[in-house]
Amino acid sequence: MFNLFLAVSPEIFIINATFILLIHGVVFSTSKKDDYPPLVSNVGWLGLLSVITLLLLAAGAPLLTIAHLFRNNLFRRDNSTYFCQILPLLSTAGTISMCFDSFEQERFDASESIVLIPLPTRSMLLMIPAHDSIAMYLAIEPQSLCFYVIAASKRKSEFSTEAGSKYLILGAFPSGILLFGCDMIYGSTGATHFDQLAKILTGYEITGARSSGIFMGILSIAVGSLFKITAVPLYMWAPDIYEGSPTPVTAFLSIAPKISISANMSRVSIVGSYGGTLQQIFFFCSIASMILGALAAMAQTKVKRPLAHSSIGHVGYIRTGFSCGTIEGIQSLLIGIFIYASMTIDAFAIVPALRQTRVKYIADLGALAKTNPISAMTFSITMFSYAGIPPLAGFCSKFYLFFAALGCGAYFLAPVGVVTSVIGRWAAGRLPFYYIRLAKRMFFDRPRTWILYEPMDRDKSLLLAMTSSFITSSFPYPSPLFDLTHQMALSSYL
Amino acid sequence: MMFEHVLFLSVYLFSIGIYGLITSRKMVRALMCLELILNSVNINLVTFSDIFDNRQLKGDIFSIFVIAVAAAEAAIGLAIVSSIHRNRKSTRINQSNLLNN
Repeated sequence: MFNLFLAVSPEIFIINATFILLIHGVVFSTSKKDDYPPLVSNVGWLGLLSVITLLLLAAGAPLLTIAHLFRNNLFRRDNSTYFCQILPLLSTAGTISMCFDSFEQERFDASESIVLIPLPTRSMLLMIPAHDSIAMYLAIEPQSLCFYVIAASKRKSEFSTEAGSKYLILGAFPSGILLFGCDMIYGSTGATHFDQLAKILTGYEITGARSSGIFMGILSIAVGSLFKITAVPLYMWAPDIYEGSPTPVTAFLSIAPKISISANMSRVSIVGSYGGTLQQIFFFCSIASMILGALAAMAQTKVKRPLAHSSIGHVGYIRTGFSCGTIEGIQSLLIGIFIYASMTIDAFAIVPALRQTRVKYIADLGALAKTNPISAMTFSITMFSYAGIPPLAGFCSKFYLFFAALGCGAYFLAPVGVVTSVIGRWAAGRLPFYYIRLAKRMFFDRPRTWILYEPMDRDKSLLLAMTSSFITSSFPYPSPLFDLTHQMALSSYL
Repeated sequence: MMFEHVLFLSVYLFSIGIYGLITSRKMVRALMCLELILNSVNINLVTFSDIFDNRQLKGDIFSIFVIAVAAAEAAIGLAIVSSIHRNRKSTRINQSNLLNN
C-alpha cells in the first residue's frame, strides 16, 4: 500500500511545495513586523528549487516496477511517460530561471504569480501518463486555468489583462468541446479507460460499423486538443495572447502545454482509432500550420509576434510526424518536441535580455552584432535552427519528420513542408524573408541611434549556453536523442 | 420518459452555449455561455450513467469533477473580467483590439 504513495510522490511533492510556497509568500509579505518585504525573488528561487527537486524525484523514480498496480486505474507509467515527464520539468525550470530578471526590471511585486508555475507543472505530470478520459480532462483543465491567470498577471497593464481574457475564451471553448467528446465516447461505448476503449474501437475503421456518437466523440476530442496546441485553422487569438502576456509567461505558454498536450494526444490517438477521422484532421492542420508559419510572419514588425507565429508553424511541422500512425512518426514527434523546447527556451531567453527600455520592435535589434556579438550569435543560431538550416538541430528534426511522413505514405505533406520551410528562410527578390531578415538586421543594419543593452544576468546566460550547445551538438551527435525517443515510441505502442 | 429527449436537451444547450460564446459582445455573457456548455455536458454524463452504468457510475463521478472545475473556471473568469474592468471601465469584447496587428 505504501508503494502507491511512492508512485505518486512527485505529484504529492509538487502539490505540497506549491501550497507551502503560497503560504510562505503571503504570510511573510504581509507581515508588518518585517516591514512588508516583497518576496518575489525569494519565492521564485524556492519555486525553482522545488521544480528541480521534482525533476530529481521524477527522474530517480524506481517506480516502473510497480506500474502494474496502476494498470486498471487512471494512470499508466512506462518508459515513454518517464522520459516525457522530464522534458516539461526541464522546460519549466528553464522558464522560472528566465523570470527573475524580468521581475526585477519591471518591479513586479506579486509573489503569488510564481506559485502559478509549479501548479500547471503538476497537471502536466498527471496529464502525460493519463490513461482515462476522466484523468485526461482533470489534468488538462487545471493546467489551462493556471495559464489563464498567469497570462493576465500584470494587472495594471491593459495588454496583459486583454491577453488573459482572450486566452480565457480561447481556452475554455476547447475545454468544453473536449469534454463533450469524452462524454460522447463514454455514452457510445460505456468506457472511459483507454484500455477498454482500445478494445472497443479496434475494428472501428475496418468493419465500417460506424456509430455517429463515437465519430462525434473522436472528432470533438481531436478538435479540442488541436485548439489547445494552437493548430492553424483554430488559432484565433494565439499570437495576441503570446504578445500581450509578460515575456516569461509567453515562453512558458509556448513550450509547456504543447509538450504535454501533444504527448497526451499521441496516447489518445494510439489507443483510439488511428484511421480516417483523426488522421485527415491532423494532416490538414499540419499543412495549414506550416503554411501559416511561413507566410504570416513576413509582415511583422514586432519581436514577439514572429516568435509566436514561428512557434505555431513549428508545432505544425511536429504534428506531421504525429499524423502518421507509425512508430517513426511518434519518434519524430518526440525528437521534434525536444528540439523545439530547447529552441524556444533559447529564443525567449534572449528577447527579455535585450532590454534597456523594452525590445518590442525588430528594428531595435539593429547592429546587435557590434554591441553584443555573443547575443547576436546565439539569437541567429536559434533563428537558423528554426529555419532548418543544416548544421543545426532544427534541420535534424525537420529531416526526420519528413522522412517519417514519407515513410507512412503522406506524399503530399512532405513537399509542402519542404517548400514552406524554404519560403521561411529564403529571399525572393524584394520579398521580405523571415528568419534571415532578423539576422540581417542584427548583423548588417545601421540603426539611427545605437541602443546599448545591459549585460545579461547569470541565470539566463547559463540557460542560453546549455540550450544553444544542445542545438549545435545535436546534429553531429544525435544518437542519444534518437535512442531515447525510439525507446519512448516503442513503449508507447505496447 | 425516453432518454433521447434528455440527450437532445443537452445537445441543444451545448449548441446554444457555443453559439453564445462565439457571438457575444460582453465578457459576462461569454462566461455564462461557458457555464452552459459545461453543465450541458454534465446532464449528458449523468444520463448516460443512469442508463447503463449502474455498477461503476463513471458518468456521475465525472460530472462531480466537472462541476468543481467549472466553478473554478467561473471564478477565474470573473477575476479576469474584474481586472479588465478596473483598467478600462467596460468589458465589451469588441473593444479588445489593442493587440491586433
